[in-house]
Amino acid sequence: MWWAIWSIEVVVSLPSMVTSPGALTAPELELRQQVRAFLIETLPWGTFEPGLGMGAEVNPKFSAELAERGWIGMAVPARYGGRDATAVDRFVVVEELLRWGAPVGHHWVADRQIAPVLLRYGTEEQKRWLLPPICRGELCFCIGMSEPDAGSDLASVRTRGVRDGDGWRVSGVKVWTSNAMRADFMIALCRTGEGVRHMGLSRFLIDMRSPGVTVKPIPFLNGSTDHFAEVVLDGVLVSDEMVIGEIGQGWAQNANELAFERSGPDRWISTFLLVQEFMREWPDLAASPAGSRLIGELAAQYWVLRRLSLAVARAIDAGGTPAAEAALIKEMGTRFEQDVVSALRELLDRELVCGMEPVQTPSLFERLLRRAVLEAPSFTIRGGTNEVLRTVAVKGLS
Amino acid sequence: MSDNELYGAAAKLFAAHNRWEDVGEAEATGWAQQLWKALQQSGFSDVPVPEELGGAGGSVADAVQLLRAAGAHAAPVPLAESGLVGGWLLASAGLALPEGVRTVLPPAATLRLDGDRLFGTVPAVAWGHRAEHVVGLVDGVIVLAPGPAAQSSGPAVSRGANLADEPRDTVVFDGVPVTARADAPDAVTEETLWERTALGRAALMAGAISAVAAMTLRYSGEREQFGRPIARFQAVQAHLVTIHQQAAVVASAIDGAVAAVELGRGSFEIACAKMLADQAAQLVTAAAHQTHGAIGMTKEYPLHYLTRRLWAWRDEAGGHHRWADRLGAALVACGPDALYPAIQSGSEVMQ
Repeated sequence: MWWAIWSIEVVVSLPSMVTSPGALTAPELELRQQVRAFLIETLPWGTFEPGLGMGAEVNPKFSAELAERGWIGMAVPARYGGRDATAVDRFVVVEELLRWGAPVGHHWVADRQIAPVLLRYGTEEQKRWLLPPICRGELCFCIGMSEPDAGSDLASVRTRGVRDGDGWRVSGVKVWTSNAMRADFMIALCRTGEGVRHMGLSRFLIDMRSPGVTVKPIPFLNGSTDHFAEVVLDGVLVSDEMVIGEIGQGWAQNANELAFERSGPDRWISTFLLVQEFMREWPDLAASPAGSRLIGELAAQYWVLRRLSLAVARAIDAGGTPAAEAALIKEMGTRFEQDVVSALRELLDRELVCGMEPVQTPSLFERLLRRAVLEAPSFTIRGGTNEVLRTVAVKGLS
Repeated sequence: MSDNELYGAAAKLFAAHNRWEDVGEAEATGWAQQLWKALQQSGFSDVPVPEELGGAGGSVADAVQLLRAAGAHAAPVPLAESGLVGGWLLASAGLALPEGVRTVLPPAATLRLDGDRLFGTVPAVAWGHRAEHVVGLVDGVIVLAPGPAAQSSGPAVSRGANLADEPRDTVVFDGVPVTARADAPDAVTEETLWERTALGRAALMAGAISAVAAMTLRYSGEREQFGRPIARFQAVQAHLVTIHQQAAVVASAIDGAVAAVELGRGSFEIACAKMLADQAAQLVTAAAHQTHGAIGMTKEYPLHYLTRRLWAWRDEAGGHHRWADRLGAALVACGPDALYPAIQSGSEVMQ
């Protein structure tokens, strides 16, 4: 059991697979070089506004260029438009994109979550229909989980799917949905049966252009109105072809896919560029005793989080579903992302005042820091709050 | 023998010869004769020294596995000093292992070699009073000298102890003649001696942390309060999560450090591993004691054998700040665009 590397019983039976999970194979290193070369050519540093991890800009043109090189939906079999690649290959690509602050917003959810879900639970028709455009970087998805009365407690969703002829009528309200205003489809968790709590939940693909779908922006605390949204589903007709997996199995499916959703570089790398740009713009402070000590401490944390995250990708490639390990990593990695912001802010010790638009603060570091201070609380909330993650992780321990 | 089998064999040996009461007795007397004898007979005290130099063979990875097992059992013996650090020093200069208990003089010792005689005072020598031989690096020369427990002409010693009552003695060399000496090869410097010492401590810490994790998980499942096991309370679960996260962090860091050392480098990875182990020691001991409550503060319950060692070891072989300062300075010198490649490839790109 992979888990074993992390406890004493495991030290006893230390699996050889983890003796050097930090090492990439020659083809994986070659892939990394290709992604680096692509980024240097397509997005030269200084010519674009880098983002903070997965919350980066939405740029369909960039997504299309990535897809042209086969770097979206990589693990999808070639017959559906993918590259038959591994979870580690995807790790390699995603890591380079995120640490460059590349605009991955358009395809992010489709690549990380929807493609694996369709591969695992989708019908042959769904795969043939949706996977090729996902791999071409064309489709943008949003995730309809939260509702006004269902945040961490997802089993209490009230959006209902009611049988109607050959399909389903879906009604309810989803909130705090990222990128709903741009999405082509939503994957929505809905109640379709009575059952207690986790029973009777199903997942539907909802075409966001369907009659009855209304998207209303919810302003984010930083003033942005193009990210969060409320999605009202008013008797939206959903055909049987849009059901993901089996009716009533939505909860179990949801729990299974969390391993790849929770353990990737996006869960610990979001604020890396702050460190890099701090070193660039404040070289004297970085070289000071306090500065270099902090850089050393942060590097050690990045190094080990990356190793653990890569080990989960390797475990997934070996056929495992290390959901508890992934929860442990996300809980720790997202707190670290926040700690980076606090540590740099304290070291800098200055007011974050910037000129009003259109005069931008010339310092990329300060622009990133301002955004990070305002966005950081979301790191430990999105994709499962840390409180919920701890409960998931403990179940894997005993 | 695979890493698993080696760990299993060592764990069996410690279980037989190093029960908690044995650890307590060794802390009182300063020595664990029976355990040391078993380690010598098994050859574990002589890993990874090549057989042609009188060792038991084995790799750095093997030595680290043994230290993990030793740490998990709070083994009160100079295993790291004997093999991974002291044995390596001797072997690197082609010097054969001497018979008898040996320890190593910590790096940065203020020693002076005058001809073949050693002068100077060395504090905090692990199990110094029991050492028949001491190994040290003095001005680029690897020396083997009689220890305080040698039959004759040994140095003077005054006893000391760390927080876990492990002997950390002051050894005074007043013209003690060396038994053997050889110039250190280029790869063996004061800094690499620091690194070896830190790797040994971090490996022991990884073992101790994994044992604390297992002990705390078990206790929290057995101890009932308010009518149910305390592990069912979310506030306690948060402690368990912290402990197991840190156990994973340190285990992974040690694996990474060993892999790098086996490739002939490792300065980046060892610095990270020691830093992470020190930080983990703080988080894990706090969470484990909080989970155990009052019983964990008693001498009868064995948690303290592990936690006191973690509190001592985190400060030994360079604390958190020594390693953070050095690593940070090296990274800053390489510049911002080299930072992420260093995180990905460590000492492969740092050198």
